[in-house]
Amino acid sequence: MSRRYRKWVKEYQDQAWTLARYLLKDAQEAEDATQDAFIKLWHHQERVDPERVRPWLMKVTRNGCLDRLRRRRDIVELNEGHMPGHVDGPMQGAAATEVGTWLRRAIEGLREPYRSLVVLRDVNQHSYEEVAGMLELSLTQVKVYLHRARKELREQLSEVRP
Amino acid sequence: MNRYDEKWEDQINALLDGELSEIDADLLKDAAGSDGELARAIIEAHQLQQAMNRIGVERAPASLKKRLRAIPRQEKPGSGFSILQPRWAMALAVIPLIVIVTTVMRPQEPSAREIAQARQDLAVAFAYLDRAGDKTSREIESVVGSTMSDAIAGTVIRNVKSQL
Repeated sequence: MSRRYRKWVKEYQDQAWTLARYLLKDAQEAEDATQDAFIKLWHHQERVDPERVRPWLMKVTRNGCLDRLRRRRDIVELNEGHMPGHVDGPMQGAAATEVGTWLRRAIEGLREPYRSLVVLRDVNQHSYEEVAGMLELSLTQVKVYLHRARKELREQLSEVRP
Repeated sequence: MNRYDEKWEDQINALLDGELSEIDADLLKDAAGSDGELARAIIEAHQLQQAMNRIGVERAPASLKKRLRAIPRQEKPGSGFSILQPRWAMALAVIPLIVIVTTVMRPQEPSAREIAQARQDLAVAFAYLDRAGDKTSREIESVVGSTMSDAIAGTVIRNVKSQL
């Protein structure tokens, strides 16, 4: 039992951490949220389908992060979130030496569920089907929302790059 | 991008996801050859994907790894719901106890033997009452006369018998 749990920790800790980090934008809180998700996994390990542990864990991690954001009264950001340009303007991004740094901030600036979609699909590389299950969206919704998010990021990137 | 924006948007995403068929890829390529904006959109999408690949999954910090490894030591397994948990074990143990108590406390139907014994006891009691009634009548009669004594003794015996 413990061996199986440790295997899951080894395989999924980075992905859960990455998702929490992007959603919460706070390292300490992201650690707490990730730990909470794994505690739930530990307690539910007998009932979670071994083939579905990863989507289950990501969903629990995301829900925990959203709860924290709500408690943080960041709900305004969730509903009316800023698109990348508003958080980190193109000129500021152009001044950045590292595109990756700008891109991280741009993703953090996406509103929900776009932010989770980009992190889960494009950063964590989950399949569309898995992402749909995690976010309780249809496959069509996932693709439409993700395409919108990518387009926004792409337009911002085009302004950043020479 | 131009008025074909949404149409090509799906194709660009499918291309990046590796889900675009060869035929559709050729169509997209041909269209991009004559549409500068579309060609630029494809290039930007590719650049974005490369940037995404570069940032990739972040490694969890050592402090978090340590906390995750400590969970099995700090948390009892399966405390969400388990039939082996103390509170569930106690709840299950209570069920037979309730059954036993209910059975013991329930009023039982008398057996035929008990009914026969009760009838015999009643017959003895009535015989005693009859004798006691006769004795009482005689005592009362000696004090108040025979008419009054019969009324009093008869009432007493009837009252006693009605209680049985």
